Amino acid sequence: MAEGLRTAEQQRNSRTFGIEMRTNELNSAAEKVGNCFLSPNWNNSMDQSNPFESSLSSMASSPSASNAETVLPGYGDNVLIRKLIGRLENICDSTYISSQSLIKPSNNTPLNSIPKLNLPLMDSQIIENLNLPFSSDPGFVQRAARFSSFGGLNSSLGSQVKFPDSLDESFVSGKIQDSANARKRKSIHRRKAKETPSMAAAADAKVMLQFSSANYLDFCLSCQILIAPEFQIVAESNAKRSKQDGADEEHNGDGETENDGNRKQNKENSKVAEAPKDYVHVRARRGQATDSHSLAERVRREKISQRMKFLQDLVPGCNKVTGKAVMLDEIINYVQSLQRQVEFLSMKLATVNPGMNMNMEALLSKDMFGSHGSIPHTLCSNDSSAPPFSFGYQHQQGLSVHNAATGNTETRFSLNPLIPTLQKDRGPVDRLINANHQVGSFWEEDDLHSIVQMGLGQNQSQNHQAEGQVTDAMADKGVQELGRFAVEENNKGQQQKVEFSKVVQAAKKVDSGTKYFLRIDGSENGEKKSFNAEILVKPSKEKEMLSFSAAKL
Amino acid sequence: MDLQNMNPSSLKSRFATRFLRALTKINAQKPISSSSSREIFQRYRRIKVAADKSMAYSVRSRRSWSRATLWRLRTRSPRSRLATLARRSSVKTRTTRAASHGATVVDRKSHGKENKEDGGVEAEELRELVPGGEAMDLCNLLDETAHYIKCLTTQVQVMRTIANLYSLH
Repeated sequence: MAEGLRTAEQQRNSRTFGIEMRTNELNSAAEKVGNCFLSPNWNNSMDQSNPFESSLSSMASSPSASNAETVLPGYGDNVLIRKLIGRLENICDSTYISSQSLIKPSNNTPLNSIPKLNLPLMDSQIIENLNLPFSSDPGFVQRAARFSSFGGLNSSLGSQVKFPDSLDESFVSGKIQDSANARKRKSIHRRKAKETPSMAAAADAKVMLQFSSANYLDFCLSCQILIAPEFQIVAESNAKRSKQDGADEEHNGDGETENDGNRKQNKENSKVAEAPKDYVHVRARRGQATDSHSLAERVRREKISQRMKFLQDLVPGCNKVTGKAVMLDEIINYVQSLQRQVEFLSMKLATVNPGMNMNMEALLSKDMFGSHGSIPHTLCSNDSSAPPFSFGYQHQQGLSVHNAATGNTETRFSLNPLIPTLQKDRGPVDRLINANHQVGSFWEEDDLHSIVQMGLGQNQSQNHQAEGQVTDAMADKGVQELGRFAVEENNKGQQQKVEFSKVVQAAKKVDSGTKYFLRIDGSENGEKKSFNAEILVKPSKEKEMLSFSAAKL
Repeated sequence: MDLQNMNPSSLKSRFATRFLRALTKINAQKPISSSSSREIFQRYRRIKVAADKSMAYSVRSRRSWSRATLWRLRTRSPRSRLATLARRSSVKTRTTRAASHGATVVDRKSHGKENKEDGGVEAEELRELVPGGEAMDLCNLLDETAHYIKCLTTQVQVMRTIANLYSLH
């Protein structure tokens, strides 16, 4: 068991608490554990002791203890667990015999077994170190009150486990003292006991039975069993405790981890579950099952719903849609419509004669700065005022050209050129046209235009004077000069000389100075090539070449 | 007006440059004006493949659907045009698409079924739409779908712009 725990520790240390990971394994373990912990019927728990034992060991060995996720969020403290095990073993050995004698002469409490005494010990250790759901405080408190007769035992225990004398005090005097270190194992016992006689009696009985087995595992089990119900009870009374995220450090907080344990254990008390901070921490919410299966399911469902929400934003017109099936239908329709659009556009591109040489200049110049374009042809102007709607997506509704035209008063795109070319396909035309006047709202046409320009690699002269495009780069002597300059600059540092031919296109941007983006036709090693150059012309008219590169055509 | 805003490595620009290159190549092969309808159809095919290819290449292998698309393109390119046409023409019908893909993805499906949560009939359809979706569970499928939608919209925008530029002379 110790070894199992150790390996489990290591694994736990990796903090891979993915519920999905070991759901099956944990499920069986967790269910049993959960049953043991949560069922108020302690008679049953005794019968389950064996399964509990097996489940405990399996839980211990299964690193991701999904139950631990809800129950032990910070589980994973190797060293402390080892210490705990060591102590438990010690306790078992040393106290077994003595406890036998103690059990019989029961004084105040029916149960004077050492396991109970050790329970606080183990509980505190477990809780502190492992952040188990078992709240040590209340349990200890109760047991401390009950175990007041264990004075004699304490000393031996104390020596074995190096407990402070406070343990003796609490047990002998039954005093409860609040202390700042209440969370530490030593001080836990000082808490005021809140008696629940029935529970205590039942627990006592359980422990006695467990103890008689003198089996280390049973001992542990009994501890666990005892811890749980008491904590449940105490949790109710300690509902005020603040919640704390599971952490595997020793908690010096004030009962926070116990509170966590309480909350997790005690369904009645846990009101709202924090949203899991990250996907491994899942809290059982009020009224929800805490077994690993449902937790895993819940995490999965949350993930899926997150993604569905994201998709809702992506797919236009889905704001009012609720429900997974309908949403999926919408998504499917949207994807289909997009794919159809791609096909349609590729068909269109296949049919349309590019005629790039002829009119690209006009096109590009107009499009480029499209902005709030007065240019009727500028389809791609930045139509910021266009209603942000799902372009092209209304395939269900037979949008007519008329609708498209009237739908957006700012449609600058003249539909006429399109229509004749697309006689064969009215449907897509409608879609396209409807979508066209929305295009502007969807992309920064400037980027695209500049890309288009560069990609096309055509000789273009721009008529439109604006920042960005230099009008008529071919004719602009200044720009040609810049091109030459760029080539010369490049040649200075290069082995292979580039011969300047002409500047094909130019764009400029006013920054700290004017930045020119030139596309230059030249030949390198006798081979015709195109180059991209960036030149910064400072206000002092000083030219500086920023970059020069061969353009991939 | 911002050239400065242009992100040369954005998906859009990557796709646009690639696609334009491919397009010019295709257009350079034959003059368009005199094409018969069959040639136009062939060109359409090529352009569509180029569009898908350039989009997939722009995304590299970061996404499952792009990997699936590239794989598909690579393995299917040597096949006959007719086979490709048959496959493509079935795009609009979900069932036929499923049938045509059935042969290639049957293996994946049998594996994938274990992984897949039952998202219902719609999830199956979505899987058919999104390339490479057959072997994904619902969670990943939704992720891939989101990215796929984003890329498709980019593709549509770019292609539309280009088409407009072409046609607006």
